[in-house]
Amino acid sequence: MDCKEALPLLHEYLDGDLQQVEAAKLKQHLAECAGCRKRLAQFEKVEALIQAWPKPEVPADMASRIMQSLPPARRKPWYSWVRRHPAISVAVVFLMVMAASFASLWDEDKELMLKGDDLQAVVIEGNTVIVPEGKTVTGDLTVKGGKLQVEGDVQGNLVVIDGSVVMASTAHISGQVKTIDEAFSWVWFKVNELFGQLSNWQ
Amino acid sequence: MNSIAIDTRLARLAKSGDRAAFAELVELYNDKIYHLAYRMLRNRHEAEEIVQETFLRVYMNLDKYDEQQKFSTWIYRIGTNLCIDRLRKRKPNYSLDAEMSDGDGNDWYSTLPSEEDTPAEQLVLSETQQQIRATIDTLPDKYKAVVILRYLQDLSLQEISEALSMPVTTIKTRLHRGREFLRKKLEQIL
Repeated sequence: MDCKEALPLLHEYLDGDLQQVEAAKLKQHLAECAGCRKRLAQFEKVEALIQAWPKPEVPADMASRIMQSLPPARRKPWYSWVRRHPAISVAVVFLMVMAASFASLWDEDKELMLKGDDLQAVVIEGNTVIVPEGKTVTGDLTVKGGKLQVEGDVQGNLVVIDGSVVMASTAHISGQVKTIDEAFSWVWFKVNELFGQLSNWQ
Repeated sequence: MNSIAIDTRLARLAKSGDRAAFAELVELYNDKIYHLAYRMLRNRHEAEEIVQETFLRVYMNLDKYDEQQKFSTWIYRIGTNLCIDRLRKRKPNYSLDAEMSDGDGNDWYSTLPSEEDTPAEQLVLSETQQQIRATIDTLPDKYKAVVILRYLQDLSLQEISEALSMPVTTIKTRLHRGREFLRKKLEQIL
């Protein structure tokens, strides 16, 4: 190793970053080189002299002057909370809008609603939907906001939302009967319906 | 793990309006920032201004303090940058900014005598101490900040690199050049 290679290692050593392998090489070079030994000693002395500079005295009232120079404390207005929590604010607004639209959809359907692929045989009296005895409905039937009275055959599923279903002894339903009353299960039902429609589009 | 540093916790409280927490932060750091500023600027009045400005900026920007970073790094960054800006403002003359031909990055301004160390102080200080301070004063600004932060404020190279927003390799280069500059200037008395 020559002095030119040793110099950066001296600096690494002074930084406290000298690795073992290089330290050994440096040590060997220093054993043989008075010039680099002197240089190292000078560096170390410079460091010691710098660090011997005593801490300057801080004025006693510095801290209180700082506190006095601060602007007066003010109550943070609500909009700065919004600015600091943008994600939550957006989520809250989103949920409020969704809740409002669900509420309006839920309210809308006070009227009787009947859905199905095959409604030929179905009879409606007031707010009761009737599948008469001896008649057959092929496919699913959905009734909302009313009563469903089954006296005949249904070759499919029955869904009643916000209503009731009555089945006579002559009734025969080949699928499932579902009644939905709570808003949550209505939401779930709607989601399932959406997926059902999506898969039908394929 | 509940090992959040005390100053980070105080900063969090101060952010939500707790003045007493902020006063605690002032107690913790005002000496250090004063020492930094005085050693950089060698002028008591300016050092006091820097300290006040530093804490004012901390106060106004608590919202922007990133708790992942050490509070000390953040406040040292603000303080050091204010000092460097102030040093730059002292050089109105373009010709004084011109580099000298000694290749060390010196400019003529740094050859002007230091403001501080009153005659009374100079009597008390050893000649060596006087020379060391005067020589640090002549360090080019780039090296001065690193040398002072490292040797006098006891920051690690990593902390200095974060405070000055520069890679550690750059910090090392400046530190090594600063060391060599001082060694050469003080060779006679070492």
